[in-house]
Amino acid sequence: MFESLLNALPVALQFGSLISLFVGTLIGILIGALPGLNPVMAIALMLPLTYGFDPIIALGLVAGIYNGSMYGGAIPAILLNIPGTPAAIATTFDGYPMTRKGEGGLALKTACWSSAIGGIVSALALMTLAPMLAKVTLAFGPAEYFWVAVFGLVSIAVLVGKDVSKGMLSALLGVIIGLVGIDTISGEERFTFDSLYLSGGFELLIVLIGLYAVPPVLEMAEKRNESYFDSDSFRAKPSGGSLGLLRRHWRTWSRSSLIGVAVGILPGAGGNLAALLSYNEAKRKAPDPESFGSGNPVGVAAAESGNSADNAAAMIPSLTLGIPGNLVAALVLGALMIHGLQPGPQLFTRSPDVVFGFMWQMLLTAMLLLLLGGMVATRLFAQVLRMPSALLVPTTLVLMAVGVYTVNGNVTDLYVMLAFGLAGYLLNRLGFPLAPVVLGVLLGPMAEQNFRLTMLIAQNDWTVLFSRPISLGIIALLAVVLLSQLWKALRQRRQSQYQGS
Amino acid sequence: MNYRDLFSGIAFLIIGVSTVWMGKGFFADAAYVPIGVGTLMGAFSLPLIWRGMKSVLAVRTTTDAAASSHMTTQPAPALVDHPGRFSVTLGCSLVYYATLPIVGFYTTSALFITLLAVLLGERRPAVIAGITLGFITLLYALFAVVLKRPLPVEFFLAS
Repeated sequence: MFESLLNALPVALQFGSLISLFVGTLIGILIGALPGLNPVMAIALMLPLTYGFDPIIALGLVAGIYNGSMYGGAIPAILLNIPGTPAAIATTFDGYPMTRKGEGGLALKTACWSSAIGGIVSALALMTLAPMLAKVTLAFGPAEYFWVAVFGLVSIAVLVGKDVSKGMLSALLGVIIGLVGIDTISGEERFTFDSLYLSGGFELLIVLIGLYAVPPVLEMAEKRNESYFDSDSFRAKPSGGSLGLLRRHWRTWSRSSLIGVAVGILPGAGGNLAALLSYNEAKRKAPDPESFGSGNPVGVAAAESGNSADNAAAMIPSLTLGIPGNLVAALVLGALMIHGLQPGPQLFTRSPDVVFGFMWQMLLTAMLLLLLGGMVATRLFAQVLRMPSALLVPTTLVLMAVGVYTVNGNVTDLYVMLAFGLAGYLLNRLGFPLAPVVLGVLLGPMAEQNFRLTMLIAQNDWTVLFSRPISLGIIALLAVVLLSQLWKALRQRRQSQYQGS
Repeated sequence: MNYRDLFSGIAFLIIGVSTVWMGKGFFADAAYVPIGVGTLMGAFSLPLIWRGMKSVLAVRTTTDAAASSHMTTQPAPALVDHPGRFSVTLGCSLVYYATLPIVGFYTTSALFITLLAVLLGERRPAVIAGITLGFITLLYALFAVVLKRPLPVEFFLAS
């Protein structure tokens, strides 16, 4: 295998392949930075154009768009609190507060390096661990997926914000929003109130833009007409330059990249879960967890390396087993089939140059991010911060409108976005964290589907949820998170009692 | 904030109870999660209501004590900082969404940016015109020329 990997390097370094990597990464950053456009849409639009190309050039474009968009999603997340892609939700937690503090430049640079490191680790994992790790994922059944979803949901509800009951209520509200629409298993309409619009359920991106992007725009509008951000925002550079950044974040990057790779291998889990779990873990391990959410660069580093580490790893089950881990992986399989290649274990022996060349391309695009990400993001997109708030408000609202409208071509989506925006504004003001709401919308259906599937397979025998070793391992992790929070709360109460007396 | 916790707790309790009530009418296993989630929501709203009630009572006691000693107490921060600007932004957005399919995307967006910028206090015509034109041109180049995404057609181009 190692020989095949080395033989594929010159293929990935061909002129045509390099050009496709460069163009793909640029398109990816741009697509990721525009809310409403996502890598799936961009790759789907690009694939028909690559029919006449060599497979390695088509896959180079895919690799560039995929890795580029993961970093691109961080740009509006940091500058405007709008997650460009769902995977950039966790980046808003500390990225946007950093911009408000005048550290937008530092946040973008941290995000760029973190995305690149996460992408590199993920590509290396794809190259080395692919066949071995794919076997482990075969052991994951619906019960395990149910527990993974519950773990993601409960841990974010408990760890984000100061009040556990408010975090849990936010998460449960998200789950209820996710329940709206036709039930995919029984076909029954739930919470639709006989509305045709609601029967399709709420589009994640619309909920996301509404909850996350509208409230800060409304807050911006409430301020007097002045630059909303500190004009020195882009002068904030990491102390010690890039080397300082490396020294400061290597632990977070290593941990988050490993989480991202592990999540990426699980089909269906996705970069958003990887980012949120990485963020939670970074917060749990930090000596100053209370600084998370108010502009801690470690939060940005964890979220970005986590979501980018998911990218190449998500290709492991698709390339080795032919099971796509996410929509992009499904499109990669489509791209291979368009070019007459059959995904699965035989792909490694029949077309090693293409499959290993693609792995090299994932690695090269992750590296390209350092060059293109820094250049495009900090020097071009960041100019947006110099606009006065009276102009930034309407232009951001138009950007959101176009992003939301292009999802379904339906004007009702715009009203729905605004309604979610108002709800987000109110929840924010009442002290309810918004991240668990989004995670509830995202993981609620995943938890429900797998729970019902487990019950169906086990003929309503509940013990199956607690009998498999992997499930027990995830339950143990969940218990650790809950007990650590309980211990923290008890310690704080004891300290306040001690200070009071 | 005390009344806010109390009222938000009650609101969540109502949502939870309604979810359980509606969930009971769903077919077999489609009801599992709605009932479970509604029950949990009701359960988690109770500590919030309890805390809210406790702090409301505590504040009332403090306010009574302050009134008897002629002291002033701190009011809770407003839910909306600047209701005027807030409603102008919301109102303009609603009008924008309503006229978008009739007038067309690029024309409505250009008018929306100009109007809202003026209403929010921008008074430099050249800056408004420059940014509006530049932004709309960029959107047109990207969505119409490169990505070819269908957006509401301009009224003067519709046949």
